Amino acid sequence: MIDIELVVSKAIKKAEELGASEVELHIIEEKEVSVYATSKGVEGARRGTIATADVRIAIGKKVTVQGSVISSENDVLNLVEKAVSIARVVPEDPNWISLPKSCGYTSTFDLIDDRIKALDTNTLTSIIRETLKIPPQVDRRASANEVAINASVIRKWIANTYSTNVITYEKTLFSFIVEVKASEEGYESSYYKYYYAPTFKEFNLETLVKDATTIAISTLKAKPIETGKYSIIFMPSVFAAILRALLVPAVRADQVQKNRSPLAKKLFTKVLSENITIVDDGAAPNMIGSAPFDDEGVPTKRKTVIDKGVLLTYLYDTYTAYIDNQESTGNAVRPGLGSPPTPNATNFIVIPGTKSVEDIIRDSRDVLVVYSTIGEWLSNPVNGNLGATATNAIYYRNGEPVQPVKGITISGNIYKLLNEDFEALSREVELVANMLVPAVCVRNVAVAGERK
Amino acid sequence: MEYLVDLAEKILNEALNRGAQDAIVRVQEKVYESIVFDNGILRVCSISRVSGLGLTVFVGGSVGYSYASIVDRDSIPKIVDEAISVAKALEYGSEKRLVGEEVKGARGSYRTEFKVNPFDVDLETKVKLVNNLNNESMKKEGIVSAFTRYGCEIDRKYIVSSFCSKVQVEVVAIGLSHLAVARYGDIVERVGDQKTFIGGYEFIEKFDWSSFVNEINDLAYRASQASTITPGVYQAVVDNELVGLLLHEAFGHASEGDAVYSDLSVLKGRLGQVVASEKVTIVDDGMVSGGYPVPFDDDGIEKKVTYIVKNGVLAGYLNSIVTAKKLGQIPTGNARAQDITFNTIVRQTNFYMLSEDAKVEELFEGIDYGVYLKGRGAGGGQVNPALGTFTFGVGPSYIIRKGEMGELVRSVIVSGNILEVLKNVDMVANDLNVTTSVFGGCGKMGQMVRVGDGGPHVRVKKLVVGSR
Repeated sequence: MIDIELVVSKAIKKAEELGASEVELHIIEEKEVSVYATSKGVEGARRGTIATADVRIAIGKKVTVQGSVISSENDVLNLVEKAVSIARVVPEDPNWISLPKSCGYTSTFDLIDDRIKALDTNTLTSIIRETLKIPPQVDRRASANEVAINASVIRKWIANTYSTNVITYEKTLFSFIVEVKASEEGYESSYYKYYYAPTFKEFNLETLVKDATTIAISTLKAKPIETGKYSIIFMPSVFAAILRALLVPAVRADQVQKNRSPLAKKLFTKVLSENITIVDDGAAPNMIGSAPFDDEGVPTKRKTVIDKGVLLTYLYDTYTAYIDNQESTGNAVRPGLGSPPTPNATNFIVIPGTKSVEDIIRDSRDVLVVYSTIGEWLSNPVNGNLGATATNAIYYRNGEPVQPVKGITISGNIYKLLNEDFEALSREVELVANMLVPAVCVRNVAVAGERK
Repeated sequence: MEYLVDLAEKILNEALNRGAQDAIVRVQEKVYESIVFDNGILRVCSISRVSGLGLTVFVGGSVGYSYASIVDRDSIPKIVDEAISVAKALEYGSEKRLVGEEVKGARGSYRTEFKVNPFDVDLETKVKLVNNLNNESMKKEGIVSAFTRYGCEIDRKYIVSSFCSKVQVEVVAIGLSHLAVARYGDIVERVGDQKTFIGGYEFIEKFDWSSFVNEINDLAYRASQASTITPGVYQAVVDNELVGLLLHEAFGHASEGDAVYSDLSVLKGRLGQVVASEKVTIVDDGMVSGGYPVPFDDDGIEKKVTYIVKNGVLAGYLNSIVTAKKLGQIPTGNARAQDITFNTIVRQTNFYMLSEDAKVEELFEGIDYGVYLKGRGAGGGQVNPALGTFTFGVGPSYIIRKGEMGELVRSVIVSGNILEVLKNVDMVANDLNVTTSVFGGCGKMGQMVRVGDGGPHVRVKKLVVGSR
């Protein structure tokens, strides 16, 4: 095994000897075990470990990032040597000021679960067997089509020219996904639910699988509804997907600076309904985006991004913060090996409303409740236009379900839907990967379905 | 990578000695060079490398997989034990071999031919090319943001197995992508496209990148001035690129043996049945011109041309060694993995529709009011293969009025059920075109692999069209 802390200090020294004015090392080791099953039973499993290193080098304002899978100390040193040679020939970046100068830690809770660290294939397999039993018990028309479980342990190390003491943390991640399929008289529907968090704390297998089964069953025999304008309740997982596709990119400082955000020049103005408050929290307990520091070592923070509809801040890493004369908000995220950090959401938390979903349905004369969509990520963040196809939905009139719906496209602009067309947020919230969100009800959504 | 190749056969033997009935060892090294200019500034200039070794073992009815990036002679027993213990934990309890004599491993090698090794080309030359294209774009009227990227990937694999496979593959893919964001008044639109070649830097040198980038800038600016389409049901002509995307997502995934076996495919139980109009023939082909070369799959099986639909009738599925066994079929060479951190799953290679004899312009004749759906600038797609439902972001497209091309419309999406759509194909043109991309691919189950897709222009009687 490689002594990472020793290698990091050697690598920084070597880069500086070769002429680098600034050096940053970012190393990750990930151990994982995963099991995958279908309705026929467990199909396969895998286990392994991989270590990767990214090195960011600056020679004055000439900057580069190089990354590699590493298998020895020499791999890291070679990577440094290559990075310095590339940094010499790349053009200067006029916006470059420096690497972060104050690395450190924020206190975090529920980032590690020893039960996840100890997970073996046998335990995962038994969770899968349990999962496969539940849908037919709830309804004989249902079965679990796909179940996948992954448990991993991640350790990260960061050091740079300004804080040569290596900072490090460990975190566990557990993901569980189940897709339930329902069939009756030639009709079919399917619905999936998942849990993705650092700990088991909020994992309730039975509730997840039962909920997925209930929705799959209740959306059997779905068909399109007539083309027109509708009030829609986007359930939390759909609302989270919409925010991920449209709002998160729009509050990233890099996108704002590059004219790719409709929220450019909108700081301290009302951009959404006064009922909407959104927080980005890099240290929220038991959320996957949490860590003591971000991907360039800056301590994570909790910040209100939208306060009662008013945009208060963009999300910054060090590079974009210097451009706007701001401080990093601890939002540096590395999108992949060899890529420089860019600002991105850590955990997005939407403050819930006061009415239950049931009450919102009852209070609407007619409303389409959308449980799942596909293609919402095709939406256009540069203008906020939403486009998605509903795959599981139910149309309600006067509080009563009229028909299950699928195969319709949904269009609208989120800055209109979540502003003048906003109706309500639910009081129930759901953990959807790095988002904690309620359901949202909006009016005047364009739906294309049956020909009028 | 050489030292891993040396260890591969040793690991294979060790696995068989320690209780695996069959085993596959895959050694892989992927090197990716990326140069990105974003709004005139160099944001990425990197060469990343992912390498290591993966071991698949077959024990009774179970399949186990283990991988490692840090491998030496001392760690062989650990890697082998992990794979075997993972397989045993699945407890199928069968002593029978999951697969056996019927599986014929391939022996051979493939190497992309090139004249100029992209990694020998001076870095400054490449940086200058991308810089110029990006800077020129930023000067164009209406363009407020531009993202230009050079990418080159060398993917080297060495696979040995107890099925007598011994294959070596080296693919070099190279290309350039460009994304332009244009603004007209309050309307902001973006159009992105890419061009990829299988080969060396000579392709970069002889292609007219300036025109390529200009066309994208121009389309983005015109799209920002266009109106959106009125959502509804339209008669449509679909271009080559969009046909490819639609087939890959909405039909290709449903033809994958793992989806069929586990009741996740709308095509299950339909072999021999009519699933499309008789004008439709669809194949998966590892070595088509313009596509991504897959001569052998990652289980070491030869990839041949697989007919999925012949004249509207479902003719076959895509299979790995494992799904072929479960479905009582033969492997089609479609087991693929992103890299060593994943075991193989069933994937498409180059999935496309074959040409018929209509001329492209004939497809427009007789359309009173419809839409010409274009792939350039499309946002990708998503599908539920169990139900056949799909949705796609389409590029800037054109309204068709009385057989003539009308105005440009922006932000179009289409959705539908693939079986209904393919049955509604009433004309297929003669202009087959297959393309691939070094910037993206297919991301099934979190694994990105390079694929090719395409087809000729087709006409569809009705399609649900919305706006995004």
